[in-house]
Amino acid sequence: MPTHRRSGGWGRRSIDRRQFLKETAGTAVAVSSLGALMAACGNDGSPSRSVAAIEVASPENPVTLDLFDDNPSIDSGLEPEAGPLRIFNWSEYIWLRVVKDFEEEFGVEVEITTFQNMSEGVAKLRAGGTDFDVFFPTIDQVPKLVAAKLLQPLNLSYVPNLKANVWPDLVDPFYDQGSRYTVPYTTYTTGVAYRTDMVSEDVGSRTNPYDIFWDSQYSGKVGIYDDYREVMSMIMLRNGHTDINTGDPEILEETKQDLLSLIDDVRVKTTIDGAYSGLPEGKFAVHQAWSGDMIASPFYMPRGEDPSVLRYWTPPDGRGSVGNDLISIPRSSQNPVLAHLFLNYMLDNDVAFKNFSWNGYQPPITAMDPATLVSDGYVLETLESAIVLPQNVSRGYRQLALLPEVDARWQSIWSEFKAGA
Amino acid sequence: MNWLRNPWSRPRVLALVTWLYILWSIVPVIIAIQFSFNAGRSRSAWQGFSLRWYTGDPDLSVLHNAALREAMGQSLKLAVLTMLIATPIGVALALGLARWRGPGAKASNFLMLFPLVTPEIVMGVALFLVFVYLFKFIDLGTEAQLLGHITFSISYVVIVVRGRLFTIGREFEEAALDLGASPVQALRLVLLPMLAPAIFASLMIVFAISIDDFVISAFLQGGAESTTVPVLLYSTARNAPTPNLNAIATLLLVFSMLAIGIAISLQRRGGRGKGEAVESFARLEI
Amino acid sequence: MKPGGMRLPRGFWRLFALPGVLWLVAFFVVPFYAIAAVAMGRLDPLFGTSAPVWNPIEWDTTILTDVLSDIAGGGIFQTVFFRTCLYVVIAVAMCLLIGYPVAYYIARHGGRLKVLLLLLVIAPFWINYLMRMLAWINVLQDDGYVNRILMFVGLLDAPRSWLDGQPSTVVLGLVYGYIPFLILPLYAALDRIDQRLIEAARDLGASSWRAFTKVTLPLSKQGILAGSVIITLPMFGDYYTPDLLSQSPRTSMFGNQIDFFIHSGTGEATGATLALVLSGFVSLLMIYYLVSVARSSREASS
Repeated sequence: MPTHRRSGGWGRRSIDRRQFLKETAGTAVAVSSLGALMAACGNDGSPSRSVAAIEVASPENPVTLDLFDDNPSIDSGLEPEAGPLRIFNWSEYIWLRVVKDFEEEFGVEVEITTFQNMSEGVAKLRAGGTDFDVFFPTIDQVPKLVAAKLLQPLNLSYVPNLKANVWPDLVDPFYDQGSRYTVPYTTYTTGVAYRTDMVSEDVGSRTNPYDIFWDSQYSGKVGIYDDYREVMSMIMLRNGHTDINTGDPEILEETKQDLLSLIDDVRVKTTIDGAYSGLPEGKFAVHQAWSGDMIASPFYMPRGEDPSVLRYWTPPDGRGSVGNDLISIPRSSQNPVLAHLFLNYMLDNDVAFKNFSWNGYQPPITAMDPATLVSDGYVLETLESAIVLPQNVSRGYRQLALLPEVDARWQSIWSEFKAGA
Repeated sequence: MNWLRNPWSRPRVLALVTWLYILWSIVPVIIAIQFSFNAGRSRSAWQGFSLRWYTGDPDLSVLHNAALREAMGQSLKLAVLTMLIATPIGVALALGLARWRGPGAKASNFLMLFPLVTPEIVMGVALFLVFVYLFKFIDLGTEAQLLGHITFSISYVVIVVRGRLFTIGREFEEAALDLGASPVQALRLVLLPMLAPAIFASLMIVFAISIDDFVISAFLQGGAESTTVPVLLYSTARNAPTPNLNAIATLLLVFSMLAIGIAISLQRRGGRGKGEAVESFARLEI
Repeated sequence: MKPGGMRLPRGFWRLFALPGVLWLVAFFVVPFYAIAAVAMGRLDPLFGTSAPVWNPIEWDTTILTDVLSDIAGGGIFQTVFFRTCLYVVIAVAMCLLIGYPVAYYIARHGGRLKVLLLLLVIAPFWINYLMRMLAWINVLQDDGYVNRILMFVGLLDAPRSWLDGQPSTVVLGLVYGYIPFLILPLYAALDRIDQRLIEAARDLGASSWRAFTKVTLPLSKQGILAGSVIITLPMFGDYYTPDLLSQSPRTSMFGNQIDFFIHSGTGEATGATLALVLSGFVSLLMIYYLVSVARSSREASS
């Protein structure tokens, strides 16, 4: 029986949760400034060793994060501390009821602080004002956080649920071989969301479903995420380029032209919440969407309207954009044992299911059989395509950290778009 | 075409333009208020009268929506504190600037005028950067917002009080001094009571300005708990909002109206009629 | 107490001004300096975030020169800058075209209704800018009153989509938002004009139109200038009006760019630079205004 998210206090999700998009794949260079690049290289002339030290991880090039002598993991077999456990997460990304259950089970208090976007989160972590115990980074931030010794290596003896419950591909992921610093939190795909009452065609049966974003018959009702990585990689996939982290000038130029044409062709709007909020409200006919947003979207339908008009398309063979979020433990945690137990708790089957029923973002739990998610009422049948399958993780295309000069070019294209130039 | 010859008696075109302007200016707001009482979800299709967006709707009404109530609370908190702190500082500054005859007086005057002509976004960026990189002991959030509000309010207080100071002139003070009062006594017993209407007016004006502020509050926002009503209006409006947005905006309107209404009516002290009060308020001769 | 006027202690009044001045220095001047420090600072090599540099000697002006040459030389910032100038000029012109007659009417012909008219015109000051903008958006919806009335009157065949990234909607929105701030100073200036001057002109045989152009208009020039400055300067930094009325990049104004870059993590220094450029530009306008005020008062007294 599905738990009712409304009663669980959906409320209005803070729109800026997904403003992390503005910072995905953090880089070290400001937009369009060679001078800044020089500065990043160190004005004293020495090459920026930190840029070289950050390896760009990819499924073909798995990375094992460094361990440092002065940043050891905790010993095994210790008793959990008394708390309070300080969680630092995106706003409205974890169900408070799940947190309350943790409090009861372990007899501790939990304090949650939230951030609106990843750079804010990282900045607060670096500032060191509060000693957080649990932090939810994105994949591209991890190498930098590790190099800056802001995260502590995990002692997986406290987190048996990782090996026991999680998809094998994510137990030993390419971005953190051996799960030295992180465990996965949620997985998602990025695709095309649309309403059948405003879009009479079957988007999936088009030769190139991504083309719908440029279809002028939906002019004024088309939305994309306000995020350069998501949008530009979608355009690259549309044009058949599977390396969505490329710096190839020709591909970038083609992407730029397509991106700019959206402004006049369909009068595109950029939003953060258009998929789970604007689309159900009828503001958009088509919107770029994350799978988690779409699973949640029926709960944003105005009362009395039929949520089965909401649909989601992503390449059925899994060859679309895919990603996952992480949980980690900051080095300065005052309650590391408790924190480890919290990570283990979040990877518990029941807890993961419960959180999913509120969150909409799918945890990579093997016990979660995609085939039963619909029949068990977690996901609307019409939104079955939003379920993430384990094989997507290896087949899908991931947005990875970009090299600084490549990122600068991406951002400069995006600024041109944002300037309406 | 009589009116061309003698337009002083019946300037019809001007009257028409004026009334059209007033309609254009106010009617959308009235419509917005009307729709805050809409029984349905639409903000443009009238579906009957109801108080659901204020009290009835279990999820979204102002009464039941915690986010809206918290934002209202935050707005009021900031407005009251700003009013209580900025006004004394501003009054003192006005007095000081009006009477100061030394080096630095002109520069200080210039300094005071600057916030009035600076684009809000520049102030927002400046304060944001200073609290993140320099005054790091002040977190973004309520503290930062309060400091920002006070900063831009001070200049308004100075303008209001200065106008009144100018009207009052120095005779009363000098008379008091001649009669043997100390400067402090002259200030306390003569000048301040005469300034009282202007001081109260500035209290109200600062309150209204602070409640309506958007840019500074948005830039200096910390977490969800430091959301003010204008910030909430803004973020909700970009989605597809329901009439509860109209409801909270109407409530905000009521508060601002009260404040300005009090400010205007305070002009009646000093024996002016209501009409004169409004006129002098409009001329900023408070 | 010494009778007959006690001398005020030195610095008495200066002490009064001190708290205000200190406050403004701490929370106005210093933050401005912080903008410069970030705009001309360094970047953290690992995280790419800004690292402000407080010593002016060590300032790195590369981003500043990049932005300025972009504006001067046809880059994206130039496009946005020109677009912003265009919108502001048109909006201010429209505000004057509408606002001057209204202010004039109330000042000169208000009569018994003067108080009522003033109240109605002051009303927007009570009403939150955002609320007015939202009200305006409300009636601009596809099924809103604007479309309904225009279709009823026959000017439109089908509902027009106003909120779709139309520059005209943004300019009209700016006019709607800022015009009250022009009308009040204009009213104040017009109200101060001595009626007898105009009557004198009429007595001397001038037609009412000439009386207007030769007497009223010149005397109200200061008011026009002051009012225009009051709305032009903030309008240059406006970003929420285009954001609310059109979420399209087509109508992106300078303020939007600042907002975008400041919140973009790695582009913070660029955002600070843009803010610096905007302040510089606005200061130039302000100086022009002050100079012309000084010049005209010199002319008046000579």
